[in-house]
Amino acid sequence: MALRFEVLGRFNRARAAHLTLPHFVCETPLFMPVGTQGTIKGLTTNQLEEIGCQIILGNTYHLALRPTSELIDELGGLHKFMNWPRAMLTDSGGFQMVSLLHLADITEKGVTFQSPVDGKPMLLTPEESIQIQNRIGADIIMALDDVVRTIITGPRIEEAMYRTLRWIDRCIAAHKRPHEQNLFGIVQGGLDPVLRDICVRGLVDRNLPGYAIGGLAGGEDKDSFWRVVAQCTAALPEDKPRYVMGVGYPLDIVVCSALGADMYDCVYPTRTARFGTALVPEGLLKLKNRAMSDDTRPIDPACACMVCKNYTRAYIHSLVTKDAMGSQLLSYHNLYYMMQLSRNLHSSIVQGRFPEFVCNFLQKMVCISLSLSSCH
Amino acid sequence: MSSSNSIHSSAMKFAVKAWSNGRARAGVLHLDCCPTPIDTPSLLLSTRKGLPLFISPDLLPSLPSPDSHLLHVSPLHFLEGLSMTTISKIGGLHQMLGLHEYGFAAVPRDSIQCLPEANSTNKVGASFETPCGRLLIKPAEYMEMISSLRPELWATLADEVPAWVSDKRNKTSVDRTIKWLDECIALSPTGGAVFGAIVGGSSLEERQRCAQEVARRNVSVLEYHD
Repeated sequence: MALRFEVLGRFNRARAAHLTLPHFVCETPLFMPVGTQGTIKGLTTNQLEEIGCQIILGNTYHLALRPTSELIDELGGLHKFMNWPRAMLTDSGGFQMVSLLHLADITEKGVTFQSPVDGKPMLLTPEESIQIQNRIGADIIMALDDVVRTIITGPRIEEAMYRTLRWIDRCIAAHKRPHEQNLFGIVQGGLDPVLRDICVRGLVDRNLPGYAIGGLAGGEDKDSFWRVVAQCTAALPEDKPRYVMGVGYPLDIVVCSALGADMYDCVYPTRTARFGTALVPEGLLKLKNRAMSDDTRPIDPACACMVCKNYTRAYIHSLVTKDAMGSQLLSYHNLYYMMQLSRNLHSSIVQGRFPEFVCNFLQKMVCISLSLSSCH
Repeated sequence: MSSSNSIHSSAMKFAVKAWSNGRARAGVLHLDCCPTPIDTPSLLLSTRKGLPLFISPDLLPSLPSPDSHLLHVSPLHFLEGLSMTTISKIGGLHQMLGLHEYGFAAVPRDSIQCLPEANSTNKVGASFETPCGRLLIKPAEYMEMISSLRPELWATLADEVPAWVSDKRNKTSVDRTIKWLDECIALSPTGGAVFGAIVGGSSLEERQRCAQEVARRNVSVLEYHD
């Protein structure tokens, strides 16, 4: 175990905490930007620090392909490679392989797939995934799980859940750096409460430093989504961090935090920025819209970020989808928005005004229906 | 030809400090907006819609200063998506870009995208390739852009031609450039330093003729080369 989790304040199931990791002391609830290939698209590590980013996510699959985990290890680990002094989390590589690659096949051994580099058949086993993550050197590493989308029904979900439990033991055995890197287990089981319960118990028995709720944010209806999160947070240990993978929309983060989750990740803020959409308290602001062309207000008058302090909607409108700087400025604002949301969640819980914060947040959000669609 | 060693306008002061044995000279440029003077010869940073292509504005201060404080702006970039009315409403380049301690030099053409189209230029205006297609820019329209943008330095509209045109076409380009020089000066807003454009291709005579005419108008000088 290489972390400490100290709860500082609560409101019902919501909690604000200090999460002490080898590279940084984080405040939860928190959002983690995704830095797929060792970089957050459009921002430097200096800017990430400036906006208050605490942990970023690296994708094991992408990094193992290029530049390879061996090279990263040789160069002192991903922190040094990308010059990021704070905390880092790597996922197992499993999700990308299944979502990005055709003809990926999951067996008891691991995930077999065709290498996108040369088409050769390759196998990612739990052991291999952990070894790659050991070399990359992140503060938190994820177990290789058998991920199944929640829109799928039938025996495959049960098979995946039990396999995830068998694989966690192999991950634990393969983990060579438990005093520097925290291995999180991932709860699977689809939308089935019985399967989810079995999985939670199995993982909790292994006494891991932290737990993730996986297999969501994939097209299921919101009621099912929240029900699964609520069930898992109720059953997972109080004194360990809970990470809902692939979430997401600001509204989802607020709700999951109310249900007792602590950590989130999603490509949404940066990806939607590249399509010209800004995150604002009212929901979404589409800068591509003709109406923006002579709007001399900032994106969000209440936002203190560099973009909102200096630029008008009209100027950003002239940049978006035509000039890279448009994507950069919007990515900066959107991530600032997410960091501010994390700070607000943490401080409102600590200061005993969480319900007021949530009510205020919901009141402002005019476009609730837009925020409820799936996260890809 | 004018041999003045210094130029003053409300936004800009320039003085030559030293000469080589040949014609090279080192100088100092003072702009009201820039906290420190800029040594010349100086390189302009290229921009797209006013912001550098390669670095976001909050990271600009990490570049060497004051050497990175002069930015080239092409007014034609703004034809795509931002009206001059809106730019005026925002307050010009400095307000719009949030870059208050940087000097802007407006020149219609850039090195990549907004290139002059000599074949389409006529007596009414200069033709350029732009992100919105090929456009004919008249002096009055150009000056409207300059008045909205309010750069510290700006070049007058020129009929730029490549070196291989006929003598006749080359001479015409000088005639037009001088005519547009006067039209631009007549419409010039207060506060910016005017740079008269010098064309003439590879004809020394034509270059001299153009330079003499520009010098008579007592403005700074911008020389175009192919």
